[in-house]
Amino acid sequence: MWLPFLGLIFGLALGLLTNMQIPSIYENYLSIAVLAALDTLFGGIRAQLQQVYDDKVFVSGFFFNIILAAGLAFLGVYLGIDLYLAAIFAFGVRLFQNIAIIRRILLTKIDEKRHKRNKNSIE
Amino acid sequence: MKKNMYTRITIVLFIIGLMIAVQYNTIKQPAERDTRDIWAIREELAEEKQRHSTLLAEIRSLNEVVGRYEQSEKANLQSALYQTLDRLKQQAGLTEVTGPGVVLRVEPAPELVEMGYEIKEISPDLLTQLLNALFKNNAASVSIDGNRVVQTTAIRDINGKTTVNSVPLSAPPFEIYVGTSSFKEAQKMYNSLQASTFIDSFYLDNFNLIIEEPTEHLIIPAFDQPLTNDYLTEVKKGE
Repeated sequence: MWLPFLGLIFGLALGLLTNMQIPSIYENYLSIAVLAALDTLFGGIRAQLQQVYDDKVFVSGFFFNIILAAGLAFLGVYLGIDLYLAAIFAFGVRLFQNIAIIRRILLTKIDEKRHKRNKNSIE
Repeated sequence: MKKNMYTRITIVLFIIGLMIAVQYNTIKQPAERDTRDIWAIREELAEEKQRHSTLLAEIRSLNEVVGRYEQSEKANLQSALYQTLDRLKQQAGLTEVTGPGVVLRVEPAPELVEMGYEIKEISPDLLTQLLNALFKNNAASVSIDGNRVVQTTAIRDINGKTTVNSVPLSAPPFEIYVGTSSFKEAQKMYNSLQASTFIDSFYLDNFNLIIEEPTEHLIIPAFDQPLTNDYLTEVKKGE
Protein backbone atom coordinates (compact mmCIF):
# COMPACT_ATOMS: atom_id res chain seq x y z
CA MET A 1 0.00 0.00 0.00
CA TRP A 2 2.80 2.42 0.90
CA LEU A 3 5.03 1.37 -1.94
CA PRO A 4 3.69 4.06 -4.34
CA PHE A 5 4.40 6.82 -1.81
CA LEU A 6 7.89 5.45 -1.40
CA GLY A 7 8.25 5.81 -5.16
CA LEU A 8 7.06 9.42 -5.02
CA ILE A 9 9.41 10.31 -2.18
CA PHE A 10 12.31 8.54 -3.86
CA GLY A 11 11.66 10.45 -7.10
CA LEU A 12 11.47 13.78 -5.28
CA ALA A 13 14.63 13.05 -3.33
CA LEU A 14 16.52 11.99 -6.42
CA GLY A 15 15.49 15.13 -8.28
CA LEU A 16 16.23 17.50 -5.43
CA LEU A 17 19.51 15.92 -4.34
CA THR A 18 21.02 15.64 -7.78
CA ASN A 19 19.89 19.20 -8.49
CA MET A 20 18.81 18.17 -11.95
CA GLN A 21 17.76 21.00 -14.22
CA ILE A 22 16.39 21.44 -17.66
CA PRO A 23 16.97 24.40 -19.99
CA SER A 24 14.45 27.14 -19.31
CA ILE A 25 13.08 26.88 -22.86
CA TYR A 26 11.55 23.52 -21.97
CA GLU A 27 10.16 24.75 -18.67
CA ASN A 28 6.69 25.16 -20.18
CA TYR A 29 6.61 21.62 -21.45
CA LEU A 30 7.68 20.17 -18.16
CA SER A 31 5.15 22.18 -16.17
CA ILE A 32 2.37 20.97 -18.43
CA ALA A 33 3.66 17.42 -18.23
CA VAL A 34 3.61 17.64 -14.43
CA LEU A 35 0.03 18.84 -14.59
CA ALA A 36 -0.94 15.99 -16.89
CA ALA A 37 0.77 13.50 -14.62
CA LEU A 38 -1.05 14.82 -11.57
CA ASP A 39 -4.32 14.69 -13.45
CA THR A 40 -3.76 11.07 -14.38
CA LEU A 41 -2.76 10.24 -10.84
CA PHE A 42 -5.92 11.68 -9.31
CA GLY A 43 -7.95 10.10 -12.09
CA GLY A 44 -6.44 6.78 -11.09
CA ILE A 45 -7.28 7.29 -7.43
CA ARG A 46 -10.83 8.23 -8.33
CA ALA A 47 -11.20 5.15 -10.54
CA GLN A 48 -9.84 2.97 -7.76
CA LEU A 49 -12.42 4.37 -5.32
CA GLN A 50 -15.21 3.88 -7.84
CA GLN A 51 -13.93 0.36 -8.44
CA VAL A 52 -13.49 0.88 -12.16
CA TYR A 53 -9.72 1.04 -12.02
CA ASP A 54 -7.92 -0.51 -14.95
CA ASP A 55 -4.18 -0.85 -14.96
CA LYS A 56 -3.82 -0.48 -18.69
CA VAL A 57 -5.95 2.64 -18.83
CA PHE A 58 -3.98 4.20 -16.02
CA VAL A 59 -0.47 3.60 -17.34
CA SER A 60 -1.32 4.31 -20.96
CA GLY A 61 -3.26 7.42 -19.90
CA PHE A 62 -0.30 8.63 -17.92
CA PHE A 63 2.16 8.52 -20.78
CA PHE A 64 -0.33 9.48 -23.44
CA ASN A 65 -1.54 12.54 -21.56
CA ILE A 66 1.97 13.75 -20.91
CA ILE A 67 2.96 13.34 -24.53
CA LEU A 68 -0.25 14.93 -25.74
CA ALA A 69 0.14 17.92 -23.43
CA ALA A 70 3.76 18.48 -24.39
CA GLY A 71 2.87 17.97 -28.04
CA LEU A 72 0.09 20.54 -27.83
CA ALA A 73 2.41 23.04 -26.23
CA PHE A 74 5.03 22.33 -28.87
CA LEU A 75 2.52 22.77 -31.66
CA GLY A 76 1.25 25.97 -30.06
CA VAL A 77 4.72 27.47 -30.06
CA TYR A 78 5.06 26.88 -33.78
CA LEU A 79 1.56 28.06 -34.64
CA GLY A 80 1.80 31.15 -32.50
CA ILE A 81 -1.21 30.10 -30.44
CA ASP A 82 -0.93 29.53 -26.73
CA LEU A 83 -2.24 26.00 -27.06
CA TYR A 84 -0.70 25.01 -23.77
CA LEU A 85 -3.38 27.12 -22.14
CA ALA A 86 -5.92 24.66 -23.54
CA ALA A 87 -4.05 21.80 -21.92
CA ILE A 88 -3.74 23.67 -18.63
CA PHE A 89 -7.44 24.46 -18.70
CA ALA A 90 -8.49 20.91 -19.54
CA PHE A 91 -6.23 19.29 -17.00
CA GLY A 92 -7.00 21.88 -14.35
CA VAL A 93 -10.75 21.38 -14.65
CA ARG A 94 -10.36 17.62 -14.61
CA LEU A 95 -8.05 17.79 -11.64
CA PHE A 96 -10.64 19.72 -9.66
CA GLN A 97 -13.46 17.40 -10.75
CA ASN A 98 -11.50 14.31 -9.84
CA ILE A 99 -10.55 15.69 -6.46
CA ALA A 100 -14.16 16.69 -5.82
CA ILE A 101 -15.36 13.18 -6.65
CA ILE A 102 -12.68 11.64 -4.44
CA ARG A 103 -13.79 13.92 -1.60
CA ARG A 104 -17.40 12.96 -1.98
CA ILE A 105 -16.64 9.26 -2.09
CA LEU A 106 -14.51 9.53 1.00
CA LEU A 107 -17.22 11.53 2.80
CA THR A 108 -19.81 8.89 1.96
CA LYS A 109 -17.51 6.17 3.21
CA ILE A 110 -16.95 7.97 6.49
CA ASP A 111 -20.68 8.51 6.88
CA GLU A 112 -21.37 4.84 6.29
CA LYS A 113 -18.79 3.83 8.86
CA ARG A 114 -20.32 6.15 11.44
CA HIS A 115 -23.80 4.74 10.76
CA LYS A 116 -22.51 1.23 11.24
CA ARG A 117 -20.86 2.11 14.52
CA ASN A 118 -24.02 3.83 15.77
CA LYS A 119 -26.08 0.83 14.84
CA ASN A 120 -23.66 -1.47 16.63
CA SER A 121 -23.75 0.61 19.78
CA ILE A 122 -27.59 0.75 19.78
CA GLU A 123 -27.84 -2.98 19.41
CA MET B 1 -1.82 -9.15 -10.42
CA LYS B 2 -2.31 -6.82 -7.49
CA LYS B 3 1.44 -6.64 -6.89
CA ASN B 4 2.01 -5.86 -10.53
CA MET B 5 -0.41 -2.95 -10.27
CA TYR B 6 1.44 -1.50 -7.31
CA THR B 7 4.75 -1.71 -9.10
CA ARG B 8 3.37 0.20 -12.04
CA ILE B 9 1.83 2.86 -9.87
CA THR B 10 5.11 3.15 -8.01
CA ILE B 11 6.99 3.70 -11.24
CA VAL B 12 4.45 6.29 -12.36
CA LEU B 13 4.68 8.09 -9.01
CA PHE B 14 8.45 7.97 -9.19
CA ILE B 15 8.32 9.70 -12.56
CA ILE B 16 5.89 12.28 -11.19
CA GLY B 17 8.15 12.97 -8.21
CA LEU B 18 11.16 13.32 -10.43
CA MET B 19 9.34 15.71 -12.76
CA ILE B 20 8.12 17.85 -9.89
CA ALA B 21 11.60 18.01 -8.39
CA VAL B 22 13.19 18.94 -11.71
CA GLN B 23 10.55 21.59 -12.29
CA TYR B 24 11.15 22.97 -8.82
CA ASN B 25 14.89 23.07 -9.40
CA THR B 26 14.48 24.81 -12.71
CA ILE B 27 12.06 27.42 -11.40
CA LYS B 28 14.08 28.41 -8.37
CA GLN B 29 17.31 28.55 -10.35
CA PRO B 30 17.75 32.31 -10.69
CA ALA B 31 17.78 32.81 -6.93
CA GLU B 32 19.65 36.08 -7.34
CA ARG B 33 18.32 38.52 -9.80
CA ASP B 34 20.83 40.28 -11.96
CA THR B 35 20.50 43.83 -10.69
CA ARG B 36 23.52 45.33 -12.37
CA ASP B 37 22.84 48.36 -14.48
CA ILE B 38 24.24 48.90 -17.91
CA TRP B 39 27.28 50.68 -16.58
CA ALA B 40 28.32 47.83 -14.30
CA ILE B 41 27.88 45.37 -17.11
CA ARG B 42 29.95 47.55 -19.40
CA GLU B 43 32.71 47.64 -16.83
CA GLU B 44 32.67 43.93 -16.50
CA LEU B 45 32.77 43.63 -20.23
CA ALA B 46 35.75 45.96 -20.33
CA GLU B 47 37.51 43.80 -17.76
CA GLU B 48 36.87 40.68 -19.78
CA LYS B 49 38.05 42.45 -22.91
CA GLN B 50 41.23 43.34 -21.15
CA ARG B 51 41.73 39.73 -20.19
CA HIS B 52 40.99 38.72 -23.72
CA SER B 53 43.67 41.00 -25.05
CA THR B 54 46.21 39.77 -22.47
CA LEU B 55 45.47 36.23 -23.47
CA LEU B 56 45.84 37.10 -27.12
CA ALA B 57 49.17 38.76 -26.40
CA GLU B 58 50.27 35.66 -24.56
CA ILE B 59 49.24 33.46 -27.45
CA ARG B 60 51.22 35.64 -29.80
CA SER B 61 54.33 35.49 -27.70
CA LEU B 62 54.04 31.73 -27.37
CA ASN B 63 53.56 31.47 -31.10
CA GLU B 64 56.74 33.46 -31.53
CA VAL B 65 58.55 30.99 -29.33
CA VAL B 66 57.21 28.14 -31.39
CA GLY B 67 58.35 29.89 -34.54
CA ARG B 68 61.78 30.38 -33.07
CA TYR B 69 62.02 26.73 -32.14
CA GLU B 70 60.98 25.69 -35.60
CA GLN B 71 63.42 28.03 -37.28
CA SER B 72 66.32 27.00 -35.18
CA GLU B 73 65.46 23.38 -35.05
CA LYS B 74 68.88 22.31 -36.14
CA ALA B 75 71.07 25.36 -35.97
CA ASN B 76 70.77 26.56 -32.40
CA LEU B 77 68.11 24.75 -30.52
CA GLN B 78 70.18 25.25 -27.44
CA SER B 79 70.03 29.01 -27.57
CA ALA B 80 66.27 28.95 -28.08
CA LEU B 81 65.97 26.73 -25.03
CA TYR B 82 68.17 29.08 -23.05
CA GLN B 83 66.06 32.04 -24.11
CA THR B 84 62.93 30.28 -22.90
CA LEU B 85 64.64 29.34 -19.67
CA ASP B 86 65.68 32.95 -19.13
CA ARG B 87 62.18 34.16 -19.81
CA LEU B 88 60.72 31.67 -17.35
CA LYS B 89 63.32 32.61 -14.75
CA GLN B 90 62.42 36.24 -15.23
CA GLN B 91 58.74 35.44 -14.80
CA ALA B 92 59.40 33.44 -11.68
CA GLY B 93 61.43 36.30 -10.20
CA LEU B 94 64.78 34.53 -10.17
CA THR B 95 66.59 37.33 -11.99
CA GLU B 96 67.49 40.84 -10.99
CA VAL B 97 65.22 43.35 -12.70
CA THR B 98 66.25 46.83 -13.77
CA GLY B 99 63.63 49.24 -15.01
CA PRO B 100 61.19 51.98 -14.18
CA GLY B 101 59.34 51.89 -10.93
CA VAL B 102 58.27 53.52 -7.70
CA VAL B 103 59.95 53.41 -4.30
CA LEU B 104 57.77 53.32 -1.20
CA ARG B 105 59.38 54.10 2.12
CA VAL B 106 57.87 52.92 5.40
CA GLU B 107 59.14 54.80 8.42
CA PRO B 108 57.90 55.42 11.93
CA ALA B 109 55.97 58.67 12.14
CA PRO B 110 58.51 61.06 13.80
CA GLU B 111 55.93 63.10 15.70
CA LEU B 112 54.48 59.98 17.25
CA VAL B 113 57.94 58.71 18.19
CA GLU B 114 58.61 62.02 19.90
CA MET B 115 55.37 61.76 21.83
CA GLY B 116 56.55 58.38 23.09
CA TYR B 117 54.23 56.15 21.13
CA GLU B 118 55.45 52.63 20.86
CA ILE B 119 56.17 51.64 17.31
CA LYS B 120 55.21 48.01 16.82
CA GLU B 121 55.95 45.61 14.01
CA ILE B 122 54.15 46.38 10.80
CA SER B 123 51.20 44.02 10.45
CA PRO B 124 51.36 41.31 7.78
CA ASP B 125 47.76 42.03 6.83
CA LEU B 126 48.57 45.61 5.96
CA LEU B 127 51.52 44.54 3.85
CA THR B 128 49.39 41.96 2.07
CA GLN B 129 46.75 44.57 1.35
CA LEU B 130 49.38 46.89 -0.03
CA LEU B 131 50.80 44.11 -2.21
CA ASN B 132 47.37 43.30 -3.56
CA ALA B 133 46.87 46.95 -4.47
CA LEU B 134 50.29 47.07 -6.10
CA PHE B 135 49.64 44.03 -8.25
CA LYS B 136 46.20 45.33 -9.09
CA ASN B 137 47.92 48.41 -10.47
CA ASN B 138 50.08 46.24 -12.75
CA ALA B 139 53.22 45.97 -10.69
CA ALA B 140 55.65 43.72 -12.55
CA SER B 141 58.04 42.96 -9.69
CA VAL B 142 58.08 43.91 -6.03
CA SER B 143 60.65 43.61 -3.32
CA ILE B 144 60.04 44.35 0.34
CA ASP B 145 63.11 45.29 2.31
CA GLY B 146 65.31 43.52 -0.24
CA ASN B 147 63.16 40.38 -0.35
CA ARG B 148 61.77 39.74 -3.77
CA VAL B 149 58.09 38.84 -3.82
CA VAL B 150 57.42 35.77 -5.97
CA GLN B 151 54.41 33.51 -6.47
CA THR B 152 55.13 31.47 -3.37
CA THR B 153 56.07 34.36 -1.10
CA ALA B 154 54.41 34.25 2.30
CA ILE B 155 54.02 37.34 4.45
CA ARG B 156 53.28 36.31 7.96
CA ASP B 157 53.84 36.81 11.60
CA ILE B 158 56.41 34.43 13.06
CA ASN B 159 56.86 34.81 16.81
CA GLY B 160 55.80 38.44 16.71
CA LYS B 161 58.12 39.27 13.82
CA THR B 162 56.67 40.12 10.45
CA THR B 163 58.49 38.10 7.84
CA VAL B 164 58.64 38.06 4.07
CA ASN B 165 59.89 34.80 2.54
CA SER B 166 60.50 33.73 6.15
CA VAL B 167 63.06 36.54 6.56
CA PRO B 168 62.16 38.99 9.33
CA LEU B 169 61.80 42.58 8.16
CA SER B 170 64.36 44.98 9.53
CA ALA B 171 63.03 47.63 11.85
CA PRO B 172 61.46 50.55 9.95
CA PRO B 173 62.45 52.53 7.98
CA PHE B 174 62.64 50.09 5.12
CA GLU B 175 61.85 50.36 1.47
CA ILE B 176 59.48 48.65 -0.89
CA TYR B 177 60.59 48.64 -4.52
CA VAL B 178 57.85 48.35 -7.10
CA GLY B 179 58.94 47.66 -10.66
CA THR B 180 56.59 48.35 -13.56
CA SER B 181 56.70 47.53 -17.23
CA SER B 182 57.07 51.16 -18.34
CA PHE B 183 57.63 54.62 -16.94
CA LYS B 184 54.07 55.51 -17.79
CA GLU B 185 52.83 52.60 -15.70
CA ALA B 186 55.07 53.78 -12.88
CA GLN B 187 53.46 57.21 -13.01
CA LYS B 188 50.04 55.62 -12.97
CA MET B 189 51.06 53.53 -9.99
CA TYR B 190 52.35 56.61 -8.20
CA ASN B 191 49.11 58.49 -8.79
CA SER B 192 46.83 55.69 -7.76
CA LEU B 193 48.85 55.05 -4.60
CA GLN B 194 48.69 58.74 -3.74
CA ALA B 195 44.95 58.63 -4.16
CA SER B 196 44.54 55.42 -2.17
CA THR B 197 43.89 55.16 1.55
CA PHE B 198 47.17 53.40 2.28
CA ILE B 199 48.87 56.48 3.67
CA ASP B 200 46.10 56.72 6.24
CA SER B 201 46.11 53.00 6.93
CA PHE B 202 49.82 53.05 7.61
CA TYR B 203 49.42 56.09 9.83
CA LEU B 204 46.88 54.17 11.89
CA ASP B 205 49.71 51.76 12.67
CA ASN B 206 51.98 54.71 13.51
CA PHE B 207 53.91 54.54 10.26
CA ASN B 208 54.43 57.06 7.51
CA LEU B 209 54.16 55.64 4.02
CA ILE B 210 56.23 57.85 1.77
CA ILE B 211 55.63 57.38 -1.93
CA GLU B 212 58.55 58.69 -3.92
CA GLU B 213 58.38 60.05 -7.43
CA PRO B 214 58.65 57.39 -10.13
CA THR B 215 62.14 56.72 -11.38
CA GLU B 216 63.43 55.36 -14.66
CA HIS B 217 66.06 53.25 -13.08
CA LEU B 218 65.22 50.92 -10.25
CA ILE B 219 67.05 47.72 -9.41
CA ILE B 220 64.92 45.00 -7.88
CA PRO B 221 66.90 42.09 -6.45
CA ALA B 222 66.36 38.50 -7.48
CA PHE B 223 64.65 35.92 -5.33
CA ASP B 224 67.58 34.37 -3.50
CA GLN B 225 66.11 31.26 -1.94
CA PRO B 226 65.55 27.90 -3.54
CA LEU B 227 62.12 27.56 -5.08
CA THR B 228 60.15 24.74 -3.57
CA ASN B 229 57.51 23.03 -5.63
CA ASP B 230 56.14 20.21 -3.57
CA TYR B 231 53.01 19.76 -5.58
CA LEU B 232 54.22 20.06 -9.15
CA THR B 233 54.83 16.83 -10.96
CA GLU B 234 56.01 16.14 -14.45
CA VAL B 235 53.33 15.30 -16.96
CA LYS B 236 54.07 12.15 -18.84
CA LYS B 237 54.36 12.50 -22.58
CA GLY B 238 51.04 12.12 -24.36
CA GLU B 239 48.84 12.86 -21.37
